[in-house]
Amino acid sequence: MHEDNAVAWFCTYTPLEILDASGLTPVRHFGDPGSLESADSFLHPAICPYVRACLAAAIAGGGPHHAVFVNSCDGMRRLYDAWSDRFRDDFVYLVDLPRNPGAGSERLLAREYKRLMRELSHSWGREITTGGLLEASHAREERRLDYLRACEGIYGAARLRLAMEAHTRPPGDVLPEASEGGGNHGAPVLLTGNLLNPAGLVSSLDRAGASVAWIDLCNGDRAFASPTLPRGDDVDGLLASLARSYLDRHPCARMSEPERRYDLLVERVRSEEARGVIYASLKFCDSYLYDFPRVQKRLQEEGIPLLRLESDYSDGHVGQLLTRVEAFLEML
Amino acid sequence: MSLVEDVRDRFTGRLTPATVHSKVFWKAVESLARSPLNRPQWKADRVSLTYFIKSTREAYLGRGPVVWCNLLVPSELVIGMDCIPFYPEMAAAVVASAGLAPRFIDRATEVGFSQDACSYHRCMLGCAVDGFMPRPDLLLAVNYPCDSAPLSFSYVSDLYGAPEMVLDVPLPGREEGNALLAAELEEAARVLSGFSGYNDSRMRKGLAEAIELSNQTLAYLHEIEELRKRDDCTLDGKDAMGGISVLSGSMGSRAGKDYYRLLCEELKQRGCAGEDAIRLMWMHLKPWYSQGLFDTLERYGARLVCEEYTHSCWEPMDPRDPFTSLAAKVGGHFLVGPVERRASYLASLAEEYRLEGAIHFNHWGCRQSCGGAQLVKQALQEKGIPTLILDGDCVDEREYQEGQISTRLEAFLESLR
Repeated sequence: MHEDNAVAWFCTYTPLEILDASGLTPVRHFGDPGSLESADSFLHPAICPYVRACLAAAIAGGGPHHAVFVNSCDGMRRLYDAWSDRFRDDFVYLVDLPRNPGAGSERLLAREYKRLMRELSHSWGREITTGGLLEASHAREERRLDYLRACEGIYGAARLRLAMEAHTRPPGDVLPEASEGGGNHGAPVLLTGNLLNPAGLVSSLDRAGASVAWIDLCNGDRAFASPTLPRGDDVDGLLASLARSYLDRHPCARMSEPERRYDLLVERVRSEEARGVIYASLKFCDSYLYDFPRVQKRLQEEGIPLLRLESDYSDGHVGQLLTRVEAFLEML
Repeated sequence: MSLVEDVRDRFTGRLTPATVHSKVFWKAVESLARSPLNRPQWKADRVSLTYFIKSTREAYLGRGPVVWCNLLVPSELVIGMDCIPFYPEMAAAVVASAGLAPRFIDRATEVGFSQDACSYHRCMLGCAVDGFMPRPDLLLAVNYPCDSAPLSFSYVSDLYGAPEMVLDVPLPGREEGNALLAAELEEAARVLSGFSGYNDSRMRKGLAEAIELSNQTLAYLHEIEELRKRDDCTLDGKDAMGGISVLSGSMGSRAGKDYYRLLCEELKQRGCAGEDAIRLMWMHLKPWYSQGLFDTLERYGARLVCEEYTHSCWEPMDPRDPFTSLAAKVGGHFLVGPVERRASYLASLAEEYRLEGAIHFNHWGCRQSCGGAQLVKQALQEKGIPTLILDGDCVDEREYQEGQISTRLEAFLESLR
């Protein structure tokens, strides 16, 4: 039976409501972007740098070693592999995640949640009740709404840091005041991609004078864009509803239904009155590497200017990007 | 001169999309395949070559519903529904072996695909963008072994306006996992039967026939695997690895059965190849454009007695219960789920084949194989099997440093002597 309650999580498809309802403290792991190389003896350098940064930090002793992973991409699966091999005495669990929408996928995912509950109960000896799951779900929804209120008027790196705080702090904690609001005097743009380091590429957008008004990243606004509050009279009903909500939320590029994602992106550009889109993704993330040409095509059709940037998560090279970003902003 | 070299010499530089979609081109390819110029290593190779040329020709000429499949899509499902299975990852290997991959990889880069993505898929995408691929009626992808296929198929789906289906294989060990996958496979079969005009009873009959043939094929494959466990087996991995296309693309066909039957017979006939070779396993796939590594292996008296991707890993299926059986075949594959399954499967092969060493070819951009290589190596080393990891690229010859790789391979082989 484990005694320490902190559990690391990585992917925004992690059902935090269930971890909360188990009395655990889920903490999102962002890794150490500065020490990627120390993961090289476990993971090939051509694997997602976020994944390698998380492993590097964990090996160095950072963050909880109990961890819940989601089977969302090759990178996450490989991190689970390395983590479960390295931390054999800890609770290390992989939750499946279908790509497709529909009743079969909802059923599969609801069963996954139930299985996770059983495993948590086995490892920590705590049963999840209907009331407990509902309460945890409401607290998560409150956190989501808190974030959406708190991020108003906050841009760029400051906004991304705030989102990361909202991920990491327990739902009951008050969110900190956002630091300086980032670049909010330049052209409003929308940032889309997978996951970025606020101290790296995103800061360089601020420095170049962009007002990043919406951060469509998995460590940014996207994670708070859709409610996941379940409805139901018992645990099974709540899990079924939760599964439906997670499959229906604003998707990442790994999921099926790309057209829906492009529609949401374009809608967001319009609603934020963004004048352009910056597509920035971590290297070696296949979901976003294969997605770019279609995003480019759709935005061209919509007449929305687009700039593509790439990040290695540590972003030692961001100075070199400034000129490109400045030129893009001038064009807007 | 090999067939691919001949095709390359005749057509490179003059290939256009219209050429590969023309009857004249395929007539020429078929006549080259039959000519004395084409001297396959094994009699069985002629069977597979004839089958794939015919099947690919039918796909390019649009003579039936074309279904693009990735590696783990069971061909029995497609063949049983009288559709034409087309495995573009295998097609990329053929393009690479003909020395044409760089042109198409560069085309994919121009369109916006990153150089950090798998070159099998970039090559395939470049071919598709330029109109060199057969038009799909459906793209059918299993969500394993890697993310690349569902993602690149999604692009192709948009490019051709053809639907894509992704089969979500549940993680191993899940209650009802097989039933959920069986339901997905049945749904796919119903889409395919719509193309063929099959009713329910014809659909089941078609699947039963394909599964019967697949089972018979599997029996020959098992026999071959037993033969290869002997010290004196003459079949080397450099030849056997090409069989990946047979294993993935022709199970459920008569040609697949004939291929393994003939191979089995010829192996028995050829008999002893000497008993003193260093017995090695090859993991992932090979560089399709170069034989250099295999020349080095031969020089050092090493033989590839077993390969990760050309080994059977499923049980005979029940023709009366096709979807449950096919689900068990797909869901039970060692590439589904966490790497520990792959690692323990490879470690068990190491024992069965009495390996003295193993080589893992790290194909650039393959998060599945590169990502798991260290844990595979660890599992093999725990069994006392020295393991070499070689970084390279199966498809893009420009990313292949022959000298550097050979030096590492030679040092490894020296250590095994």
